[in-house]
Amino acid sequence: MADPGKAAVTVRLYRFRNVLKEKTAGASGTPGEALTIDPNALQAANAALEKMSEDYPDWVGKIIVELRGHLLRCIDTPAVRARRYAMIRHIAHDMKGQGGTFGFPLITTFASSLYDCVGPRSGTTDSHIEIIKSHIDAMSAVIKDRVKGNGGEVGKALTAGLKDAIGKHGKSK
Amino acid sequence: MPQTLDLGRLTCLVVEDSSFLRSLLMSCLNALGINQIKVAEDGGDAIEFLKLQKLNPMKAGILSVDLIISNWQMAPVDGMILMRWVRRHADSPNRFVPFIMVTGHSGLTSIAEARDSGVTEFLAKPFSIAQVAQKIQMVIERPRQFVHSASYFGPDRRRHDGVHNGPERRVLTDKSPGVEVILG
Repeated sequence: MADPGKAAVTVRLYRFRNVLKEKTAGASGTPGEALTIDPNALQAANAALEKMSEDYPDWVGKIIVELRGHLLRCIDTPAVRARRYAMIRHIAHDMKGQGGTFGFPLITTFASSLYDCVGPRSGTTDSHIEIIKSHIDAMSAVIKDRVKGNGGEVGKALTAGLKDAIGKHGKSK
Repeated sequence: MPQTLDLGRLTCLVVEDSSFLRSLLMSCLNALGINQIKVAEDGGDAIEFLKLQKLNPMKAGILSVDLIISNWQMAPVDGMILMRWVRRHADSPNRFVPFIMVTGHSGLTSIAEARDSGVTEFLAKPFSIAQVAQKIQMVIERPRQFVHSASYFGPDRRRHDGVHNGPERRVLTDKSPGVEVILG
């Protein structure tokens, strides 16, 4: 029977022993002792990433083909533009989250800009479609020419080219 | 000198709809020393696996999941729905399991939404291997107490006991009426 003088429990705080630390550092460790990931393991994980990065351009190339497919549907069937935008946006979201990991931050930059271009309130005019096309072209160029890192002069030229295209078609919307 | 972690006994569930990122996470976790890695292609797939793990661990191939690393944006069942299921559903095998949410959503509103649903750590995309390792280390090194109130269930959302700039909203202590501390 509940103690009438005791307040009903409204908040429970659960404090469990650190099972994960016991599993990974043993139960005998000193409380508060600093822990670290094995540097050799970290190096091996980075090597695994490097290896996968070699395949990234081919993989993302297929995604760009998929984007072009959506773009073509936007061009030949204006009525489906809003629906295709949602698909393009989903792909762009994935791409912006991956490029930087594999050494292609320009993919992340351009995909992020593309993501913003195909939001629920984005324009569906032909000029807007040109802006979407410019993004896809810029990403294609990054992959075709293997423009890694910030891309130096090539990267600057691609970024400037995309900005110009956005400015030019943005005005005529 | 810091103690080196041996991740060989950890079991991790990776939930990621992109096959390429899924492979990357698996390879990297494996290289970091995690031997038991289970994968799911979206939140629904993960829920089915966790149900199986609870009902029939032998068939699931593991006794428990020590850590979930999940993408947020997936279809049809995203990472947020998965996390809410893990934290709140009666069929969840472990409502306290550490949950690392991998996300390209960087807005404060999104982060607050995930935090208020019980996320343990965020891993922002694009991520580096060092960041993956750091999040795993944080989960092991600095676990937080779990808080269960009428409006929240999950790890304590305030990570630090230091000086807090802003209104003091943490008014309850272990001795406050209505507070129960459960040790385990």
